[in-house]
Amino acid sequence: MKLRRWLVVLMALTLFAAACGDDDGGDDSSSAGSTGGSTEGSTEGATGGELENTGNVNLLSAGEPEETAAYQEIFDELINSEVDYHAEVEAAGNFEEQFQIRAEGGTLDLAAVPQPGAIPNLVDSGSLVSLEDLGFDIDELNGLLGESFVALGEYNGAHYGIPTNINLKSMVWYPKAAFDAAGYTVPETWDELIALSEQIKADGSTPWCVGFQSEGSTGWPATDWMEDIMLRTAGPDVYDEWVAHEIPFNDEAVAHAAEVFGEVMFADGFVLGGAASTPDIAFGDAPGPMFDDPPGCWLHRQATFINSFFPEGTVAGEDYDWFPLPPIDQEGILYAGELTVVGTSGNRPEVVDFLNRFLGEEVQCAMGAVVASSRISPNVNVGPECYANDILADASAILTDALESGSGRFDASDLMPAEVGAGSFWTGMIEYMKSGPDSLTGVLDDIENSWPT
Amino acid sequence: MIDEQLTEEGERPVAGRSPSDSERGWLGALGVIAALVAIAVAGRLMFDFLKDTDANRLLVVVVAIVLGVGGVLALFWAMDRAVDLLPRRFRESVRPYVFIGPAIVILSVFLIYPVINTIIISLKDATGQEWVGLDNYEFVFTDESMLRSMRNTAGWIIFVPLFAVSVGLLFATLADRLRHGESLAKSLIFLPMAISFVGAAVTFRLIYSFRPQGFGTNIGLLNSIMIGLGKEPVPWLSERPWNNLLLMVIMVWIQTGFAMVVLSAAIKSIPDEIIEAARIDGASEFQVFKRIIVPSIFPTIVVVTTYMVINALKVFDIVFVMGNPEANQTEVIAERMMRWFFLSNNDGRGAAIAVVLFIAILPVMVWNVRQFREQEKIR
Repeated sequence: MKLRRWLVVLMALTLFAAACGDDDGGDDSSSAGSTGGSTEGSTEGATGGELENTGNVNLLSAGEPEETAAYQEIFDELINSEVDYHAEVEAAGNFEEQFQIRAEGGTLDLAAVPQPGAIPNLVDSGSLVSLEDLGFDIDELNGLLGESFVALGEYNGAHYGIPTNINLKSMVWYPKAAFDAAGYTVPETWDELIALSEQIKADGSTPWCVGFQSEGSTGWPATDWMEDIMLRTAGPDVYDEWVAHEIPFNDEAVAHAAEVFGEVMFADGFVLGGAASTPDIAFGDAPGPMFDDPPGCWLHRQATFINSFFPEGTVAGEDYDWFPLPPIDQEGILYAGELTVVGTSGNRPEVVDFLNRFLGEEVQCAMGAVVASSRISPNVNVGPECYANDILADASAILTDALESGSGRFDASDLMPAEVGAGSFWTGMIEYMKSGPDSLTGVLDDIENSWPT
Repeated sequence: MIDEQLTEEGERPVAGRSPSDSERGWLGALGVIAALVAIAVAGRLMFDFLKDTDANRLLVVVVAIVLGVGGVLALFWAMDRAVDLLPRRFRESVRPYVFIGPAIVILSVFLIYPVINTIIISLKDATGQEWVGLDNYEFVFTDESMLRSMRNTAGWIIFVPLFAVSVGLLFATLADRLRHGESLAKSLIFLPMAISFVGAAVTFRLIYSFRPQGFGTNIGLLNSIMIGLGKEPVPWLSERPWNNLLLMVIMVWIQTGFAMVVLSAAIKSIPDEIIEAARIDGASEFQVFKRIIVPSIFPTIVVVTTYMVINALKVFDIVFVMGNPEANQTEVIAERMMRWFFLSNNDGRGAAIAVVLFIAILPVMVWNVRQFREQEKIR
């Protein structure tokens, strides 16, 4: 009898636990079945998406708050006013972490990813939805956005990222007014660029302003330099092999590129403050001395966005201008950008509708006019008249050419595994700057050893 | 109120009722089962309601409170009734476990399960797909950057408690002697405690700020002093290995106030008679400090120190905010864990580092708890 009472208590507990515990299952079946009703305004083919319309589309962005605020205005005006869902763009200061956490947690709608290297891992863990599954026509996208760029989102035969933003990296900025007054001319070849540097040095000034400090990401501008040179010395094919680790990181071709880089950085009197202090100069502060009177330096290699760091009141085309980094042994143009990926919670018809509108000329053109972001559209139909200034319009023309001729390549460090592209590559370049030319072999060996197997 | 209820419930069976013992048992059992099921179903329904994001926020809050407080109360009541059904001689030995049970369940879900799962993940590869044995631990104990992070963390453990506690003790002792303004002095030193690590780090970035010649004026305090002394500005945050020390200073700055307040309270609890007696016996102030004050508050010093050690072991934000830790060679264990887990997406390595950190903290925790208990015994 006592045993029976024990059993009763046990039974009660079991029942209670069972009642508490059946949280899984059941709910999924009720929400399955696409409604598909909200795609009426869709301009292109895709109408996919398996989950129900929840009325919200969230786009996670690595952009600065001013940029995303400007984008939100565009979305409100051109998208939200016409559709039955609300699209919002969210700026995440710690984008890399947030993106991973949300994608793996299944709470990610959309994210504009600047590092396509992160995509394969997330595909393997089932955290992303392919464009094919969403009903996109890849051929159509190839025509609209350029095949080589679209191919960056390809993994295991399916596509996971739509290019939504591109920026030009191979730009050398100069203080135009003083530059012209001093009688310097824009160099067309690498030799002319070095000759110009020597000339500036002979005139008693310093040619280059370089800064690699970027807080936790210190070193990335140095990897851009390396990639730009690698693309021009080894050519696009070897560059691709380098990115895919088909040649080791301490290969002769890479070492040669690093030496050419070192010839600029370590040459006596070429870099303001010297190569060893470049890791301590914030990349945003670096171009500052160009605008001193007389200029503290005359040349600054950095991507499209850097003019937002120039002093207030300076005018593009008057106070400053840019020229493409000249070819060395080969032609090449380095670019970066964002691939927008769809997380598992974004497998909904309104997300597809949003993507179509987001890619469309109207929205892309409006986004090109946002001064804060210096954004260039990968959509080939977006013309030069859409951009905030001639600098962006010229850059977009060069990018289109490079993508068409096949000499354009995406930022290698953003394609390499994070351990390298956002780790040992940065650190290695900083070590190289600090320790000088003799450290090169050791630096490249260290990066090679850090490549995940 | 619960206590009252308890004794009432406990005595009820003693009062006895006419139906036979077994009959009463079955009825009671059914009643309790029904009550538990009802609580579970009600809880489930309310939980579903809470998941409904479209609902009125205020209503959701009210339901959450009712569900939380009412549900727990009802659960305890029903469980208590269930215990009443047991034979009397088991009743009182079972009851404590029924009451502590939910806490144990919650602890298991939120502490024990994650620990076990982390250990399991640490034995798998980057994406948690395949077993790799102890490979991740081999990485932890062979990678150059990992080894450096352990050396740096050891530096944090020694330097931060040493300086924070000794400076805090000094201030506490001296402030105790102040005739006026003791609370003001202590408030000023305690103030940094209110600033987050990240906020403090950002403040110190300005102090350590560096611009080489040609990049404008140096706005950093330290470099202004250097220039004032006629020297070249120094890139403080990349001057290895001293940059580690400069980062530790930030934590000392934050934590000294805490050490001071706790130690000051301990000093004030020393009976005046002892100190007076020592002075009458001719002890100097330093002797009083060394022979009476420090021994009297020693258990407090130990507790504060272990707290600081644990904090120093866990330090992450300061290092993460102040530049690229790998390039500056300022890595610490917690920062490595974050880096491998979230930035390099290597779950296995991240988990292995977490396990190492966990094991490193364990002895300090045990010692801390033991000291705390001893201190309680004295009181």
